Amino acid sequence: MFMENVLFFIPGLIASSMVAAAIAVLYSLVLPGIERKVQARIQQRIGPPILTPGFWSVLKFGYKKPVEPNAQMPGLYRSLVYFGIGIVVLLFLFTTPYWWAVLGWGSILGIAGLLKLEEVLYVLMGSQSQSFLSAGMPVPDLAKGSKHVEKRREYVEQHSAERALKMMAIGSLPLYVALLVPFAMARSTMIRSVVAMQNPAYALSSEWWSAALPSNPVLFTFPGILAAIVYFVGYVMLLNEKPFSILKAKIDVIEGGVLEYASKLRACYYIMRNVLLFALSSIFVTLFIGIPFDPFMPAMMLLNMALSLLLPVMLSVLVAFSPILTFRQIYPAAIGLSAVGTLALIISLGV
Amino acid sequence: MASGEKRVEIEKELSFGPVHPALIEPYRIRLFVNDEIVEDCELNINMAYRGIEKLFDGLPVERALLIAERVCGICSHVHAWNAVRVIEGGLKIEVPDRANYIRVITHEMQRIASHLILFGHAFEVVGHETFAMRSFLLRESFMDLISYVGGNRVMPSVPIVGGVRPRADLTESLKRVILERVDEFEEKYKAYVTRIIEDPLVMSRLTGIGFLTKEDAIKFHATGPTGRASGWDYDLRTKMDEYKPFDFNVVTDESCDTKARIVVRALEIFESLKIIRQAVKNLPDGPVVNRSWKPGEMDFTTALLETYRGELMHSYALDSQGKIRNYKIRTPTPTNLAAMEHACVGDHVTEAILTIASCDPCLTCCTRAEVVDSGKSFVLSDLEIVRKYGWRK
Repeated sequence: MFMENVLFFIPGLIASSMVAAAIAVLYSLVLPGIERKVQARIQQRIGPPILTPGFWSVLKFGYKKPVEPNAQMPGLYRSLVYFGIGIVVLLFLFTTPYWWAVLGWGSILGIAGLLKLEEVLYVLMGSQSQSFLSAGMPVPDLAKGSKHVEKRREYVEQHSAERALKMMAIGSLPLYVALLVPFAMARSTMIRSVVAMQNPAYALSSEWWSAALPSNPVLFTFPGILAAIVYFVGYVMLLNEKPFSILKAKIDVIEGGVLEYASKLRACYYIMRNVLLFALSSIFVTLFIGIPFDPFMPAMMLLNMALSLLLPVMLSVLVAFSPILTFRQIYPAAIGLSAVGTLALIISLGV
Repeated sequence: MASGEKRVEIEKELSFGPVHPALIEPYRIRLFVNDEIVEDCELNINMAYRGIEKLFDGLPVERALLIAERVCGICSHVHAWNAVRVIEGGLKIEVPDRANYIRVITHEMQRIASHLILFGHAFEVVGHETFAMRSFLLRESFMDLISYVGGNRVMPSVPIVGGVRPRADLTESLKRVILERVDEFEEKYKAYVTRIIEDPLVMSRLTGIGFLTKEDAIKFHATGPTGRASGWDYDLRTKMDEYKPFDFNVVTDESCDTKARIVVRALEIFESLKIIRQAVKNLPDGPVVNRSWKPGEMDFTTALLETYRGELMHSYALDSQGKIRNYKIRTPTPTNLAAMEHACVGDHVTEAILTIASCDPCLTCCTRAEVVDSGKSFVLSDLEIVRKYGWRK
């Protein structure tokens, strides 16, 4: 195989990364349109054209006149969104076959580490952004006779950053517990082993056109089903979507830390969010079904992309039927789901 | 601080508005919080002055009616109706029964439309877009019916002094349409309410927050469904002559929380449907307007009416030429403000906004200032406020 030959490996890695990243970014721009269409149909609306919310809006914001964000350190604030894109693209690439052999990045550690970094970004964005929509509003509102004067006034984005910190501490726990289950079943920390356990045909196939189907997917085992449910809810939490969108609840913190991103920066933020949506879906297909995104095996790649629609569509249905939960509900939900994930983990270790 | 009173440390202030995507009107919410818990709240409503009371001064009554209807876009009929009730009471003008029935029908139709707007807004605040959109879809039936009766969806202009406009008289075919639409609406609305009640996620957001006990509701002068959701059995309609022919229940709830405020309004819609059916079926024959009145001097007269948000007061006097003097309007929301501020204490930040929304605020209908000085209270006009205190900087 090419991957065993160093001379071919490095060009192969570069080529595979470029192809995978390009396809992932382009494909991810279609997903928001599908999400919005499903939600609209549930709400008896026509909804926007499929390409509008993802592709055309990114293009539109890319052509808008640049606006300097109101932030404590605008340079840092601007750079965070580029870091974000880098993190999510790397997260996705680490789950593609060429990267499985690079320094152990194609492992649970690579995935969990990058996801944690992604979560930290929201805390940093929130602490930086200072929109005029809250404490910075140029309206004199210190009413005469107010009981509370000279209290520290906080920007809504800073409050969102505090919420992001809480979500980091507990909200994302279910996803990480669920992620462990396929690795525990494979008795390995490497993605290669997880895929090989579920899809031995893929590990053995050498023809680029072949479509190796999994014979023993984790999803069809009892701990796998439990873990998949927990993964899905954790996925919603990590994407900050309803019902777990407390750190960007429109009714109080508006958009949270990303509020000040406008024009090109907003286009970049949309790319970051959409690639994360696709990356997490693709990781699910790779780890729970055993079909990796292999840029040099088109059939496998297309299968991965098609199955990656499953989670965004389920997400849209959930979003259409859910209110925003507050920490009163999020804490018990996260603890309960983590318990279910832990049960799945224990069962998977015993299997 | 009185001995025994709990001392609360405030960690920070969070302020929202007047420009904020979740606020449908220009007002400012200042929440004083510890972590996520609201310890105190201030609502600053003085963001939009229209000086509408001043506009009435010196106008003949029938022209003033058009302005009265424009105090609020959601409760336009109520303001027009109460404006004519003032002069009808002051000059003892007889109103035909048929006109009163049509006024009540329009009133209850607009009550339903108003409550459905609240559900739309409240579910938007809860974050449940599907329920919010469904609510607006249901509301369309009654917006259509209002336009069939008055000729306009938002400003139907049904009442005039001495009755209703002849164009708002109900024909036999319109009566049939109203009854059919009411039946259709009731079926869909029941399904909608059932879905809300059976949704555990939505109920978990509404239950156990925004407590306002009956004692507090009375103490803070909560009015309308906000007071009734605290178990306070007070509805002005039970005392109004216009409502005497109709059989309906005053809906109250003892739960005193945000859910109760939504539930009371949800059940009030069924009572409104009951009233509409009775009024349409038993609509008396006869004229719809009594034109045998002459504008003349009238002493300062007040009329109270139970609107969709609570008690509404209109009062004015007529000079010797029959022109309006000293028009005063008190909408229900300023009366509910203190209750709103009190109810959201102890809630999470996100829930506090929902608690305020559940009291159905309509803050810019009438913004006035009342200054309490040495125990005497007096009302200043906007110009006087600016002259005395200046625009705060």
